[in-house]
Amino acid sequence: MTGEHDDAPVIGVRPPRVSVEGFEGPLDLLLQLVEEKKLDILRVRLGDLASEYLDRVRAMGQLPAEEASAFLWLASRLVLLKARSLLPSLEPVPLEEDEVSEEELRARLLEYQAVRKRAQALGDRLRAGERAFHREGGTVELPPRGGDTDALAAAWSRVLTLAMRQRREELEVPPERYSVQQRTAEIEEIVQREGSVSFGTLLGEDPSLAFAIVTFISLLDLYRRAVIDLQQEELFGEILVVKKGKRDAERAGE
Amino acid sequence: MRSELANKVEAVLFVAEKPVSRSELARVVGATPRQLDAALGELRLAYEETGMRLQHDGDEWQIVTAPEMASYVASYLGADRLRVSPASLETLAVVAYRQPITRAEVEAVRGVNCDQTIYTLMSRRLIEERGRKEAPGRPILYGTTWEFLECFGLSSLDQLPTVLAPDGALPVSPEPA
Repeated sequence: MTGEHDDAPVIGVRPPRVSVEGFEGPLDLLLQLVEEKKLDILRVRLGDLASEYLDRVRAMGQLPAEEASAFLWLASRLVLLKARSLLPSLEPVPLEEDEVSEEELRARLLEYQAVRKRAQALGDRLRAGERAFHREGGTVELPPRGGDTDALAAAWSRVLTLAMRQRREELEVPPERYSVQQRTAEIEEIVQREGSVSFGTLLGEDPSLAFAIVTFISLLDLYRRAVIDLQQEELFGEILVVKKGKRDAERAGE
Repeated sequence: MRSELANKVEAVLFVAEKPVSRSELARVVGATPRQLDAALGELRLAYEETGMRLQHDGDEWQIVTAPEMASYVASYLGADRLRVSPASLETLAVVAYRQPITRAEVEAVRGVNCDQTIYTLMSRRLIEERGRKEAPGRPILYGTTWEFLECFGLSSLDQLPTVLAPDGALPVSPEPA
């Protein structure tokens, strides 16, 4: 995760929030006052902070209207609390619908204070940079079953044999000539007769490279013309060349 | 000496690129939930002396690097340090400790509008939607993510730093305004 910008602006939502004079909203300002005066949130009469709160709000200068109303709402709340404490006879005046009592305000302040400490604790962790990482990407595609070292050795020796024979062919034997057309006809005949034949059988023992290529191209051609179908049960397994009609007939019989 | 089961669990978690659920772990190693919990506990202890940790979010488990090794891993990966503004940190703290929680509830605690910070935290994948609250308007509920745990080096939510109110109690929760 990268953090190139702190609080990147959101298009179309609202202008990026700027904390006003270092305060993250009205509760933050009130809490700051309480903490500056080293008062106990549980005991302080919040109304007593009304005039100082108002002074701070006045000193803030230009505020966006929406921000200002939040600060002013809390200011008026504090003034009311103060008025009530000065004139105890006003005490029984019932709270209005969306008003909060001093106790509620106190509770909010307490919780907000805890949140701020927690945020600080989280910030400390972040600054310490002690984070965790998990394993990232890069799955290796492997054949389904574990590698067989004997098979690997056998394959290598086949390659060597092939390479040696090819050299011999090049040096000694005049190259045989195969045509795809001729080979295609041969395979088609075999398939028509046998129904199915394995690719291995078609290649025969010890095929020369040219013969293998011609056979392979012939198979592709037959497949393209829908004369044959190709089946392979498992990865690297025997490839079965099947007469197209036969397999369809089998299917129908199932 | 670690148990065979703990080794099996470790091997599976080692190749996992994303958190693995308890139920899936139990299934692949062929253990009962109780046996699995014991094995996970065993592994967690065993990792304490290593460069790795066992991290979990609810029922999802994964092997991660130890937070103490962060600087080396970060320098290998070329990872940037995450920076979060104080305002976003406050919102994140409210969500982390009170999840799942709606935007209105976060705002009631902070006393300010939190659209912006929630958007920022969402786009950093530190918080995510956790369904809807069964209340008028069915507001979206938010909770912290797996990335949150990683970024703050917490092996689970139980490890959130404990901060108590001055009276020693966990803070009360006022109703959203």
